[in-house]
Amino acid sequence: MTTSTPDAFEDQFHHVALRHERVWVFIAVALIAVLFLVAVWFVVHDYGLVAKTTQFYSNPNTPSQLAEFQGSGVKQTGPNSYDVYEIGRAWSWTPGTATPLTLPVGAHVTFYVTSGDVLHGFEVQGTSINLTAIPGVVGHVSYTFDKPGTFYIVCNEYCGAGHQAMIGKIIITGAKQS
Amino acid sequence: MSAVLSNNAPRALAVPTAGEIAGEKKMLLAFWVTGFLALAVGIAIGALQSTNYAGIDLYPYLQPFLKSYYQGLTMHGVLNAYVFTFFTISGWLMYLPARELKLKPNMGLAWFTYALMLLGTLMAAYGMFDNSSSVLYTMYAPLKGSAWFYLGVTLVVVASILPLIVVLEMRARWKRANPGQLTPLVTYMSATTLLMWLLAALGAGTEAVFLLDPWSLGLTNTIDPLLARTLFWWTGHPIVYYWLMPGYVSIYALLPRQAGGKLISDPLARLAFLLLFVFSLPVGTHHQYTDPGISPVMKGIVTALTLSVAIPSLITAFTIALSLEYAGRRRGGTGLMGWWGKLPWKDPSVAAQVLALVAFIFGGAGGIVNASWQLDNVVHNTLWIPAHFHLTVGMMTTLVFMGVSFWLLPHITGRKLYSRKIALTGVWLWFIGLMTWGLAGHWAGMDGVPRRAWVSALPHDQYMQLYGAVHPALILVGIGGAIATLGAILYYIVFFGTLFGKKEAGAMVEIPFTEYITPAQGSALARVAEPLGLWTLITFIITLAVYIPVFWPMLMNPIHAPGFVLW
Repeated sequence: MTTSTPDAFEDQFHHVALRHERVWVFIAVALIAVLFLVAVWFVVHDYGLVAKTTQFYSNPNTPSQLAEFQGSGVKQTGPNSYDVYEIGRAWSWTPGTATPLTLPVGAHVTFYVTSGDVLHGFEVQGTSINLTAIPGVVGHVSYTFDKPGTFYIVCNEYCGAGHQAMIGKIIITGAKQS
Repeated sequence: MSAVLSNNAPRALAVPTAGEIAGEKKMLLAFWVTGFLALAVGIAIGALQSTNYAGIDLYPYLQPFLKSYYQGLTMHGVLNAYVFTFFTISGWLMYLPARELKLKPNMGLAWFTYALMLLGTLMAAYGMFDNSSSVLYTMYAPLKGSAWFYLGVTLVVVASILPLIVVLEMRARWKRANPGQLTPLVTYMSATTLLMWLLAALGAGTEAVFLLDPWSLGLTNTIDPLLARTLFWWTGHPIVYYWLMPGYVSIYALLPRQAGGKLISDPLARLAFLLLFVFSLPVGTHHQYTDPGISPVMKGIVTALTLSVAIPSLITAFTIALSLEYAGRRRGGTGLMGWWGKLPWKDPSVAAQVLALVAFIFGGAGGIVNASWQLDNVVHNTLWIPAHFHLTVGMMTTLVFMGVSFWLLPHITGRKLYSRKIALTGVWLWFIGLMTWGLAGHWAGMDGVPRRAWVSALPHDQYMQLYGAVHPALILVGIGGAIATLGAILYYIVFFGTLFGKKEAGAMVEIPFTEYITPAQGSALARVAEPLGLWTLITFIITLAVYIPVFWPMLMNPIHAPGFVLW
């Protein structure tokens, strides 16, 4: 059995190990390089989904006083493209919770998201939309809703006792709007 | 495991008599018992959380001890991720180098560390138990907990830095006595881990001392939530390596001998630790891929650096698998995988650590997804994330330390392991339970089930409407959690059974320090890795280079947010 001095078995094992070790390190580095390229490709391909900074603003208590956040929060910017100004508050999304956000299928939407109190997480279930709502900062992502249906806005950043019930609704209707 | 040591392992090193190092053993025992007591409470609460995801709300029955899922979740996170880990790791990383170098550590400083950490823990516990600080272990401002909580956590973090001084002082003493020699491996690993943690703790330390503490004491009225969480994640990523690397110390430097073999390469172990040190520090911002206020260019750089952390983990996978293969073949294993079955699976300490390695393959693969920027969008803050870290820290730290305790408790106390069979069953249940919850949690997370949500408090039809598509996965989360809890109960039967069991001659096994096939002596790699002060400086400079552009817009656009208590 095992001895603490090297023997023939150990020498042979060691010899093979050294060769495999070099190959493995090369594979590991190459693998990571490929994964990085794939990750970057996804980012370039879907750059709209990358969280971006719109602006910082001075009074984190009152995002609703920002000009763009006035009114319904939905602005049509093209034939089927929209800007949606979204405020998270404990424990609702505006628009989304009291009145669902209703848009036609194929709508290209840029969500501008912020918070009026603590941190919230703007996640739209079934999509890759995921943006942190932070008081004092507006961030934005864009996404095209290719399929009709109901999508839920799920708050995914802990925001107090009612966090689990901070749900909004996006309804994508089947009829294309011209 | 004692049988394995006495029959198959290389000849024992000189063991100091119990009397000589009784003081050090008492110190280590205090750290480990306190840590594992905290873990017991944390696990008990954890069982409620997996049940919550299965749609069963037990919290109404727990008044007045737990007022909500969120209060419980705060305790679960703080007790398991901070208190358990900080205590066990601090004791472990002071004791092992002392035994390896055969030097007496600064016992005054070791006990001061313990006292300070205990004081901090009690203060934070007070703030959690009275429900004044249900802000979760990430403590994101502007949710505002009590000063007891923030000051307590601050003391715990400060205390966790002190073992570094103990280890570096021993290393310096040893180097004076052995001029020109390379630091022995375990001491090298311990010092690297603690130096990494020193740099890591600067982030949360700054957040605590300059933002949270004065704010909670009423000295400031507002807080910058973006700056606070960016500082938090400066620490929040490397902390996972502070949890893992002490587990790796056992996996690299002890497990090969326990399994009946040797570590294949000492220099490669040093390289892995050094790369973990350098790459784990500058990458915390990958927890903020979905945050506005941070430039996409920085997110891209952080993606590359984060993926690089996989390289030392892949090196570890190789070195350890090969060391285990060597052990298995020594034990008579033949063919491609015959060595695997020949490992000493009946030894609960070995089984725990090998199973942790198996789980870590899945944990690591999930981590690659989290690191990949755009892919993270799908899983960020979903159940995927806690599933990921239960397969990593819940295995590589918790299960490995459970495994370590099966020889460590007899080593400290001279009492026989209470029951090898119960220990082994507990280990397997923990592994099966966490694997079930982990894999099911990944599945549920992909469908957008959020983490940290009291979903069982929702009306049942709303729960089904939102998460019904993955209801089977959520039920598996509950079942997995229950199995793991059962494993933990068996573990604690062995833990206390051993502590209060009978003393036995021969129970006091020696520390299974491994031998190496490729030693450090004469290795250029080991020489390059040796000057830890220089590597600390290099890592600090890289970290600043990444973080200054991250912090810059935040410092130019400070946010003054008032605090909220919303639970």
